[in-house]
Amino acid sequence: MTKVQVNMSVNGLPTSIVTEPSRTLLEVLREDLHLTGAKDACGGEGECGACTVLLNGDPVNSCMVMIGQMEGCAVETIEGFSNENRPDPIQTAFIEEGAIQCGYCTPGMVLASKALLDQNPNPDDERIRTALAGNLCRCTGYTKIIAAVHRAAGDLKNGN
Amino acid sequence: MLENSDFYRPNTKEELTEILRQTRGKIVAGCTDVLPRIRRGQAPVGCLVDISHVNDLRFIREENGQIQIGALTTHADLVASQFIQAAAPGLAQAAASIGSPQTRNRGTLGGNLANASPAADTAPPLLVLDAGVMLNKDGKQRSVPLQDFFRGPGQTVLTSGEYIEHVFFNRPTGQWGMAFFKLGKRNGMAISVVSAAAFLALGPDGRIKTARVALGSAAPIPLRSRSAEEFLTGKTPNTEAFREAGQAVLQDISPIDDVRSTAEYRRHAAGIAVERVLKMAWQQAARRKA
Repeated sequence: MTKVQVNMSVNGLPTSIVTEPSRTLLEVLREDLHLTGAKDACGGEGECGACTVLLNGDPVNSCMVMIGQMEGCAVETIEGFSNENRPDPIQTAFIEEGAIQCGYCTPGMVLASKALLDQNPNPDDERIRTALAGNLCRCTGYTKIIAAVHRAAGDLKNGN
Repeated sequence: MLENSDFYRPNTKEELTEILRQTRGKIVAGCTDVLPRIRRGQAPVGCLVDISHVNDLRFIREENGQIQIGALTTHADLVASQFIQAAAPGLAQAAASIGSPQTRNRGTLGGNLANASPAADTAPPLLVLDAGVMLNKDGKQRSVPLQDFFRGPGQTVLTSGEYIEHVFFNRPTGQWGMAFFKLGKRNGMAISVVSAAAFLALGPDGRIKTARVALGSAAPIPLRSRSAEEFLTGKTPNTEAFREAGQAVLQDISPIDDVRSTAEYRRHAAGIAVERVLKMAWQQAARRKA
């Protein structure tokens, strides 16, 4: 396929690449930009959410976005999430609740939680489960993940 | 002439029309269906026309009692729209049942229809709203009733270079209700085993004035059940009538065995799904003042 130039913002930094437009955003993030926080866990089927990034603020599966579609768009990955090596309150909440086992789903879980809490600072269990329905954890640790989102909601409100 | 390429990125309908006129390329938008298929080698890459930046195809509006939804409207847009929740609640329900939040943020209404899966979740509610689809080719519009739009699994009446502009239907009035129900193998991320939608409008005498029933994953295309609709029209709404209507749909459907379920189970479940959506639609209509 003929290569195209794509200008986008990645974690706030203007980024310009020339590549085949039908490659996925996930592939470019991992292989070209060496941002390996977003994972390919289901083989590009859009089933698992491990490749979740925020696209113009909304959670999307980066395996389902063609890089050619990213012109003028802003993407936020887990690498852009913590502030000066200080974890975000959502990350802290995941650690404190023990909401991590193998860690493969965690970047996606954290970003999906971030998108939820931006829209709804005080979600109930049902809302959290709906917001995280596209993020699979094969260690089956959902209970602690949901507890972590509740804790993060409290922490965000308290400004910690 | 256009720059020689195999990936086009129009920003307006005019640019899209010109690109399609010259290239007859394949339209992509949310890519939630096409990317996995490309990756599995089931879809050729070919010449792609990305419409995800054609913002004048992304709208929800009402004109003279007709509701119009642009093809690029995402499932998340439908779920979040208070207007759709009020004017077409079954469509909002169906959109909410699609994939995950990540999928709903990318997948579009136009893509769900053009992809023409028998399991397309937005199709049954739009069928019971008696919706039409406005198509455009080379700048010329034509409208097709949604019930004539699907031709088979993955097949529609869309011709080469033609695209969906918007979906339209009349805003329901009077004492009406509608509902959607999807039976999947699990609650999240499920493709339907069977799905059903119903629309009921009651007359001043409390009888059913208009009944529309549609099913997904029950035939090669999403389809209306005329047998159930004819059975219900003029009847007094009650659970017995809904149960019988659920049996009447069996005359119209032709489900198959596939990876998600069997034809036998689908026939069983379709009747129950229809019974449920009719009951929900009736309850909604009853709550609405005549």
